[in-house]
Amino acid sequence: MDDAGKIEFHIPNVPGAEKTAMEQAATVARGMGFSDDRIEDLKTAVAEACINAMEHGNRMDASTRVGVTLTFADRKLQVDVRDQGKGVGEIATPDIDGKMEGKEKARGWGIFLIRGLMDEVQFGSAPEGGGVVRMIIHLDRKRSG
Amino acid sequence: MNKELQLEIAEKGGVSVVSIRGDVTAVTGGSIEEAYNGMTRGGVRRILFLFGMDCYINSGGIAILIGIASASRKSGQAVRVAGLSEHFRKIFHMMGLTKYMEIFSTEEAALKDF
Repeated sequence: MDDAGKIEFHIPNVPGAEKTAMEQAATVARGMGFSDDRIEDLKTAVAEACINAMEHGNRMDASTRVGVTLTFADRKLQVDVRDQGKGVGEIATPDIDGKMEGKEKARGWGIFLIRGLMDEVQFGSAPEGGGVVRMIIHLDRKRSG
Repeated sequence: MNKELQLEIAEKGGVSVVSIRGDVTAVTGGSIEEAYNGMTRGGVRRILFLFGMDCYINSGGIAILIGIASASRKSGQAVRVAGLSEHFRKIFHMMGLTKYMEIFSTEEAALKDF
């Protein structure tokens, strides 16, 4: 993004560390003027992306880290979450009925929530290796619940 | 790095009210499952999970609730949820969990519905 600010940091591959990333993203979004409900959407999406990176990309290896980059321009905030593994990949859309009937595991909602809460989502590989999920929210788009 | 999960169970008009504070995740949520299993063994038929407005809930924690919703349907227990922030009410709705677990804005409203 042109004329963008950028914040880069890493969090340890430890459950709960995702809260650091989501609070940092929320602070930036608040400063940009995003509404409270959109900030809550962002917090959940960032947390789920970090959890996926820890569990699926880094396979809970405590020696690994999750990289987070916040890139912000006037009208949009982009969050990249990188793992040190092979990324998360696509997962079938979860089905609550199947989960209630025990046909599917109860978990597996992360990508569904990220896609549902963010304006744009891309999954790919980072140039330096590892998987990356890119999430973008736009200041001038209001999503309805 | 998760905030400790705190549970308090109180009996209110024949309903076991489980007040939840802290982080509800796959790591911490096991204690909610244990509390539910204990109440089930004790013959409890009506349960209200009352979340604090400042609870951090992630998909791993919600998965614990899906498991409880599934088990309670099989056992014929009535399980309700209250106290969630507007954001998490939206999340539960997006996931379709509201088909199986009724959600109320307040404890009082939920208790009236049992």
